[in-house]
Amino acid sequence: MSPAAAAAVQPGASLRAVAVTRRFGGITALDGVSLELRPGEVHGLIGPNGSGKTTLLNLLSGYYEPSEGAIALGNEPLERAPVQRRARLGIGRTFQKPRLLPTLTVLENTMLGAWPHARAGFVETAFGLPRAAREDQAARSRATELLHGVGLGHAVARRANLLEHAEQRFLEIARALAARPRFVLLDEPAGGLSTDEIDHLGGILGTLREAGIGVLLVEHHTDFVFRVCDRVTALDLGRMIREGTPAEVRHDPEVIRVYLGA
Amino acid sequence: MLSALVAGLATGAVFAATALAYNVMFSTSKVLSVTTGHLPMLGGVAGAYVIAGLGLPWWLGLLAAMGTGALFGLLTELVAIRRVLARSDEHLWLLSTLALATMVQQAVGLWWGTEPRPFPRLIPQDFSAGLADQKFWLPIALAVAMAGGLELFYSRTMAGKLFVAMSEDAFAARARGIPTDRIRVASYALAGALGGLAGFAAGQLTFAYFALGLTLTLNGFIALAVGGLGSNVGALIGGFALGLLNALASYWFGGEYQQTIAVGLLMVVLLVKPEGLLGSKQVRPV
Amino acid sequence: MSAEHRRLGLAALLALGAATLPFWAADQYQLHLATLIAAYWVLIGGLNLVVGYAGQLSIGHVGLLSIGAYAFAILAGKAGLHPALAVAASGALCGIAGLLLGLPSLRLPGFYFAMATMAVALIVGEVVLAQGELTGGGVGLPVPGFPAPFDSPAGFYWLTAAAAAVVTWLTWNVARRMQGRGLIAIRDSVVTAQAVGVPVLGAKLRAFVFSGVCAGVGGSLFAALQSYITPDTFHFELSLFFFVCIIIGGRGGILGPFLGVVVLTALPELVSPLAKLGNFFYGLLLLAVVLVVPEGIGRVFELVAARLKPRPVESVPVQPDLPRLARALRSNR
Repeated sequence: MSPAAAAAVQPGASLRAVAVTRRFGGITALDGVSLELRPGEVHGLIGPNGSGKTTLLNLLSGYYEPSEGAIALGNEPLERAPVQRRARLGIGRTFQKPRLLPTLTVLENTMLGAWPHARAGFVETAFGLPRAAREDQAARSRATELLHGVGLGHAVARRANLLEHAEQRFLEIARALAARPRFVLLDEPAGGLSTDEIDHLGGILGTLREAGIGVLLVEHHTDFVFRVCDRVTALDLGRMIREGTPAEVRHDPEVIRVYLGA
Repeated sequence: MLSALVAGLATGAVFAATALAYNVMFSTSKVLSVTTGHLPMLGGVAGAYVIAGLGLPWWLGLLAAMGTGALFGLLTELVAIRRVLARSDEHLWLLSTLALATMVQQAVGLWWGTEPRPFPRLIPQDFSAGLADQKFWLPIALAVAMAGGLELFYSRTMAGKLFVAMSEDAFAARARGIPTDRIRVASYALAGALGGLAGFAAGQLTFAYFALGLTLTLNGFIALAVGGLGSNVGALIGGFALGLLNALASYWFGGEYQQTIAVGLLMVVLLVKPEGLLGSKQVRPV
Repeated sequence: MSAEHRRLGLAALLALGAATLPFWAADQYQLHLATLIAAYWVLIGGLNLVVGYAGQLSIGHVGLLSIGAYAFAILAGKAGLHPALAVAASGALCGIAGLLLGLPSLRLPGFYFAMATMAVALIVGEVVLAQGELTGGGVGLPVPGFPAPFDSPAGFYWLTAAAAAVVTWLTWNVARRMQGRGLIAIRDSVVTAQAVGVPVLGAKLRAFVFSGVCAGVGGSLFAALQSYITPDTFHFELSLFFFVCIIIGGRGGILGPFLGVVVLTALPELVSPLAKLGNFFYGLLLLAVVLVVPEGIGRVFELVAARLKPRPVESVPVQPDLPRLARALRSNR
């Protein structure tokens, strides 16, 4: 967290969406949904295709503005804040289709995540003043640790376009973590992973929880969601149909009817 | 004053026709091709070569103009668009069409010469006709007819409806079994033929000149962006507005700042209404 | 890291060759060409951050070059300013011009931006012709040279080469740090750039203003080298040439575009049929590169090297080290 941005938000604050509605033309993709993501909590977001999961994630991370309702981090209203400001406030995310920089190495892709902590500006960097090099060195060593931590130690110097699918997913997580986020929003991180890889992902999420990071997990693998999450929100047709512990949501008749099936 | 207005409308008609050619190609490929302005240039040069150079009748010149344009349109699609669209980098088509535009311009310059050459009279008419001269009304009539014809084509013919379906959602069109590759080729050939026709009709106004292409690429684009990308009526309005503005500006301030004024118009429109006068807002999801 | 070292070694060798060039150049014309390449590189080095790194396809930089050249000719010639001051002033002026051009146009999508920059190149030409009293109109303007020790061909070469070296150093610093990564993110995925907090417009604008300053300095040196400038000196195709050097050399590197400008400047001089074909040749090269190796010619060498010495990428299962991850997350929070 950059010092100036961190000062605005008290520690322990949660990321909240309050009765948010989002319309696209005549279609209401999200209708009065509320969600609270607390630090140190893994929060699952499930629902059928088109139920508004990714829309909610985009509202929280700032790619969309809500048509109605509020987004806030602690007391800090965010609904009009651009994506970049939210990134500086410690809201990181990954994408359903990994968005990496193909010509850069895995290490440099991860280092890019530390952008909010780089204070050296363009002119300062151009003239080679020591701060830019120092910050780069710090970002490099931390990114290296993170990459080993998520299991990409073998691929640090590899160009990102040579990665396999699972490696791309884990690299996206490492990049989000390089920003030292309070919250990470993961858009279907288990998509296309093998059973073993999903287990590894579960381990990583557990570590994030222990480190006090709040995780929003948008996911179709419901078994995985119910296993790793502390709380789960279920959406259908843009509305929230149930929020609660995994056990409560899993046995909710409405959730079973629209999503889980008998 | 009146003569300035008529000349402005005629110049604007050439811009409008170029903007229409942009639209035809954009509808099926979502590509704005740098070669668009070179289509009328080719039409003008081909027409002048066949009629004045070879001494053949005017209708053969017309065929040559449209044929050359259509061929170059085809070539653009095959060389610069098809392979590039398959890749993910969205800027590559800009580079490939720019490369092709540079090549065709230089090739014509080497073959035809770098001086503007006059375009022959198409209809027997005295040069003292003044405002009623064919060099003014031919391009104006043609641009209006082209816009009308395109609208009819889109709404009345099967092929036109396929164009529209593809422009609205290329993926869905392909999923429903529409041969999108062939339609894109057809649209580039059509745009080429129309662009060549426009260059032929406007030849007496613009002369047969190798460097016309880049100017038209820019001014046709300004007309398009002002009128609204994708709208044929908007292309007409944008073209005529730009032509009139140019004419009035040269009438009052002299002709030295035409390009400056054209870009000024574009900037004002983009600031006030980024989607252009008749364009539709695009929703861009992540 | 050995590839990095090899690249640094090659760069050092190039620098040594460039520094001693007046001693081994065969004739004055070669020295003139080398000076021209250095002056071009001052502009292209800056433009490289915009085109090669940030991926913004500016095809109108000749407009900024023209502003820089005319500003230098007028300030150092008519106004009698010291040439060093005139260079600084035209650099500043072109930086401001870059700001004024970039502020509206860098918000626009790619094709709009390219057209806007092209329009500016044409506008500058129009204004130069219209303001004949200041610029000499179509007749042109004589440009004063630099005072001793830069008044000899070798002296002026060293001055220009030094400016080129400074530009290279500045861009290299940007390219290998966070700022450079941010620009590449804007080129390859704007969505990613936003997600990690890169202020997209601001970062593009900084690079663009920097390229403007470079164009101003490069334009001054270019004008002093030509010693007489007319509107025809700054034809639009020159802009295309700058642009093509970068694309062919490869986006996202410095050495590639530099070799691009050297080869593309020298080649038509050595092979005269190419000079006649001129832009057709550049267009053909650009088309071939875009269709075959969009990453630039440098990629061909990489592919050949990979073919000669294959290093298979072995598939290693992802195996997180959770204690290490926990330590990394805890460290200096």
